[in-house]
Amino acid sequence: MSLQVGYRQRTALLFHLPAMIILTAITMVPLIYNIRISFFGFTLTQSGSRDVFVGLDNYVRLFTDHEYWNSMWVTARFVVCSTLLQLVLGTVLALIIHYYGGRLHRILTSGIMIPMLVAPLVVGLMFSFTLNPQFGLYSFLVDVFHLGLSKTPLSSGGTALAVLILTDVWEWTPFMMLMTLAALRSVPMEPYEAAILDGAGRILIFRKITIPFIRPVVSVSIILRAIEAFKVFDKPFILTGGGPGNSTEVIDMFTYREAFVNYNFSYAAALCVVLFILLLCAGILYWRLVIRRQEDD
Amino acid sequence: MTKKQQSIRNTLVIILLVFILFYLLPYLWLIGTSFKTRVDAFSIPPKLLFNPTTANYHEVFVEKHFLSNLGNSLLVTFLVTGISLIVGVPSAYAFSRFKIRGDKLFFFYLLGTRFTPVIVLALPLYFIMSNLKLLNTFAGIVIAHSAFNIAFVIWMMKGFFDTIPKEIDESARVDGCSWLTVFLQIGVPLSANGIAATAVFCAVNSWNEFLMALILTGRKTATLPVALPGLMTPQGTLWGQIAAVGAVITIPVLIFSFMVQKYMVQGLSSGAIK
Repeated sequence: MSLQVGYRQRTALLFHLPAMIILTAITMVPLIYNIRISFFGFTLTQSGSRDVFVGLDNYVRLFTDHEYWNSMWVTARFVVCSTLLQLVLGTVLALIIHYYGGRLHRILTSGIMIPMLVAPLVVGLMFSFTLNPQFGLYSFLVDVFHLGLSKTPLSSGGTALAVLILTDVWEWTPFMMLMTLAALRSVPMEPYEAAILDGAGRILIFRKITIPFIRPVVSVSIILRAIEAFKVFDKPFILTGGGPGNSTEVIDMFTYREAFVNYNFSYAAALCVVLFILLLCAGILYWRLVIRRQEDD
Repeated sequence: MTKKQQSIRNTLVIILLVFILFYLLPYLWLIGTSFKTRVDAFSIPPKLLFNPTTANYHEVFVEKHFLSNLGNSLLVTFLVTGISLIVGVPSAYAFSRFKIRGDKLFFFYLLGTRFTPVIVLALPLYFIMSNLKLLNTFAGIVIAHSAFNIAFVIWMMKGFFDTIPKEIDESARVDGCSWLTVFLQIGVPLSANGIAATAVFCAVNSWNEFLMALILTGRKTATLPVALPGLMTPQGTLWGQIAAVGAVITIPVLIFSFMVQKYMVQGLSSGAIK
C-alpha cells in the first residue's frame, strides 16, 4: 500500500513539474527582481542610477505622490461603478432570458456573448469611433433625438470617466449574464415543487429559493469582475490616453507612464509591488470565499 | 399558459431582441465601416445601404504590410496555445486526480498569477528579456504570454477533468494501466471538448492581448493589436483601415468561440459553479 501511495505521489509530481518550473521561472523570478529594483534609484535619465541603493525612498514617495492617489481614486470609482452596473444589467438580462427566452435561448446568449470576445483595444477604438463628433453615430443620434447631451463627452473629466465605465459595462455585462444564467439553470426543481405545494407565492419563492441559490455564483462573479476591472489598461489607453488632464488615468496606466514614458523604473517597480500586494489580498478573499466553500461541500 | 401570459412573453422577447441589436450596434457599425469608402463612412446622416468595397483591407494589409503583423499574431497565438496546453493539461489532471502535499499552495499561486496585473510582470520581464537579448523577439512574447495562459489552462481544465468519474480510471488501473496511459487514453479523450474550449480561450487571450505585447515586441514582431494604434497618425485617423483591422482581429475569435460555446460557458463558470 505504501508503495502504491509513493507511486501516486511521484506521478502527481511528474505531472505538475513542467508547469511548476516554467511558472516559477516566468513569474516568481520577475516578481523578486521587481522587489529588488524597487529599492534602487534606477531611472533612465541618470547614468549609474541602476546601482544606487535608496532603501524605502520609492515607497515613501508613493505615499506623497498626488498623481498616484489620483489614479487610485479614478480606479476605485471605475471598479465600483462598472462592477455594479454589470451586476444589475447582467442579472436582469439573465432573468429575462431564463424565464422568457424559450426557444430563442441559444441565439440570444450567442448574440449577447459577442462583446466579451471583442479585443479590449478594439472595444476602445470602437467607442472612439462611435463618439467621434464629426461623423460618429452618437452625435448623429444626439442631433436626431434632440438629446440634451454633450457631443464631446471625452473632452471633460467627469463624462470621460463615465464613457470609460460604459465601455467596460458594454464589454463585460455579458460575462455577468452568462454566470447568472448558468447559476439559474443549475437550481434544482425539488425546492420549487415543495414550495408550490405549500402554496408559496412567486415573489416569495424567488426571494427564498432562487436568490439564495444563485447568490454564491453571483458574488464570485462580482469579485472576478472587480479584479479584472482593477487591471483595465487597453481601453483608457486608446480611448482617452488618461485625459483630459489625468481624470481617466487608472493605476495601470499611471504605472505604465512612470515606467515607459518617464523612465522612472524603480519608482514604477515600487508601484508594481504595491499593486501586487493589493491583488494578493483580493486573491486571498476569493480563495476563502470560493475554494473553501467548494471543499466544505 | 393563458393567452395574456403568452403575449407578455412575446413582447418581452421582442424588446430583448431589439435591445441586443441596439447593444451590438457599435460593433456592427465598425464592421460595416470597414467595407465603406471614405465618402460613405463620413456621410451624415449615416448610410445604411452602400456599395461594399474591400479597398480598406487592401490598403492596410497589403500596402501598409499589416499582413506581416497578422502573421506575427498567428505565430504567437499558435505557439502560446500549444505550449500552455502541453504544460498545463497534465498539471490540471494531477490537481483533479491526486492530492499531494503542497498542491494547495501551488493552486493558490496559480490563482495569484491569474489575478496579477499585466504591468506587474511586464516591467521586470522587460529588463530580464533585454538582459537575455530576447526583447523584440518571438521567444520573449511567447514566454510572457504563456505565463498567464498556463495558469488559465490548469484552472479551466481542472474543472473539466473533475466531471469525469474517478471509477473509470480506477478500473483501468486495476487492469494494469500506468497513470500516464490512463491520462493519455482516458482522461484526454474524454475531455476533448473541454480541451478544445480551453484552447480557443487560450488563443483568444493571446490574440487579443495588448499591454505585454506593446512592451515586449518591436517593429519586426509587433502583433496586430500593437500595430493597430499606429493608424491613428498626427495627420488624422484612418478610420476605414482601423475598422478593417478590427474586423480581422475579432471575426475569427467569434467564429471559433461559437464553435465551442457550450463548453466555453461551462469552463468560464467552473470555479464559480460546481
